[in-house]
Amino acid sequence: MTPTLPSGDQASDQDNWDNGRLAHKRQLLTEIILRNRLTALVVDGDTTCRVLEQLLFHSYGVQTQGVDNGRDAIALIASGVKFNLIIIDMILSVLNGLEATRQIRDMGVHCKMLGVTACSGESERQAFLAAGVDVFIEKPLDPEHLVPILRELDGQ
Amino acid sequence: MDLAALKTQLKNFVQSMFEEGVLDNQFSQIQALQDSTNPNFVEEVITLFCNDAERIINEINRNLGYQNVDFSNLDSYVHQLKGSSSSIGANRLKLACANLRQASDERNKEGCLQALQLITCEYCLLRRKFQALLHLERSIVELETNQK
Repeated sequence: MTPTLPSGDQASDQDNWDNGRLAHKRQLLTEIILRNRLTALVVDGDTTCRVLEQLLFHSYGVQTQGVDNGRDAIALIASGVKFNLIIIDMILSVLNGLEATRQIRDMGVHCKMLGVTACSGESERQAFLAAGVDVFIEKPLDPEHLVPILRELDGQ
Repeated sequence: MDLAALKTQLKNFVQSMFEEGVLDNQFSQIQALQDSTNPNFVEEVITLFCNDAERIINEINRNLGYQNVDFSNLDSYVHQLKGSSSSIGANRLKLACANLRQASDERNKEGCLQALQLITCEYCLLRRKFQALLHLERSIVELETNQK
């Protein structure tokens, strides 16, 4: 059977547009396939940031929960919920990120913790690392930082 | 205007926002997260961001209206606005926040007021452009729906 060519320029422009977007998406999101079911807790007081961070995780197949303050993060962990990764902002209401991190570590939680902040400086970095995070990055959380961490957690 | 032409117009408009430094690559990543399971994601995030940004800018304005400014409270708001700006790819707004943060660190009220003016300008510009972007997106969706 002879293959039929797309009829008209508009159809080929549409195909090119859709294929272009898919290629662009793959390039930007650096596709990885996780073998294990990973879970993450996102602790961020800013709604826009929290939604974006959770959706980024979701796009990689990571199940997430989100809370907007340190006290709720502590309560959730104290209730017995386990996570492979915790993302925590430095500036939080009720209980700030530094103190929440200390308390989480004091509870015996050893999972990977990624400290994030909008305004980074060496003193912020040192303080967050001293509090107990494993990695410190300036927002935004992006695939370049996240993918190696997910690969490590997945044992790849 | 036909569908392909509208899509080209949208693409060129977003490109111009990158070239002007209004947006950076982080916005491309947000666009990439939109798919058939989240068809309105970009609009939802922009709406969320704008609501939060306006609230924060109003709070900063209110704080700077006091005789004795609570700079640590101010710092918290700046941190939040810078964080959401950088997360959505609002490059110039993010940079304007850095100015305010510096003035706040220096406890320089006059500097903070000037920096806030710049933030307000950059935010208004961004909001106008986002509104135009969303208008184009909605037109595209409407045309696509009509063609089905």
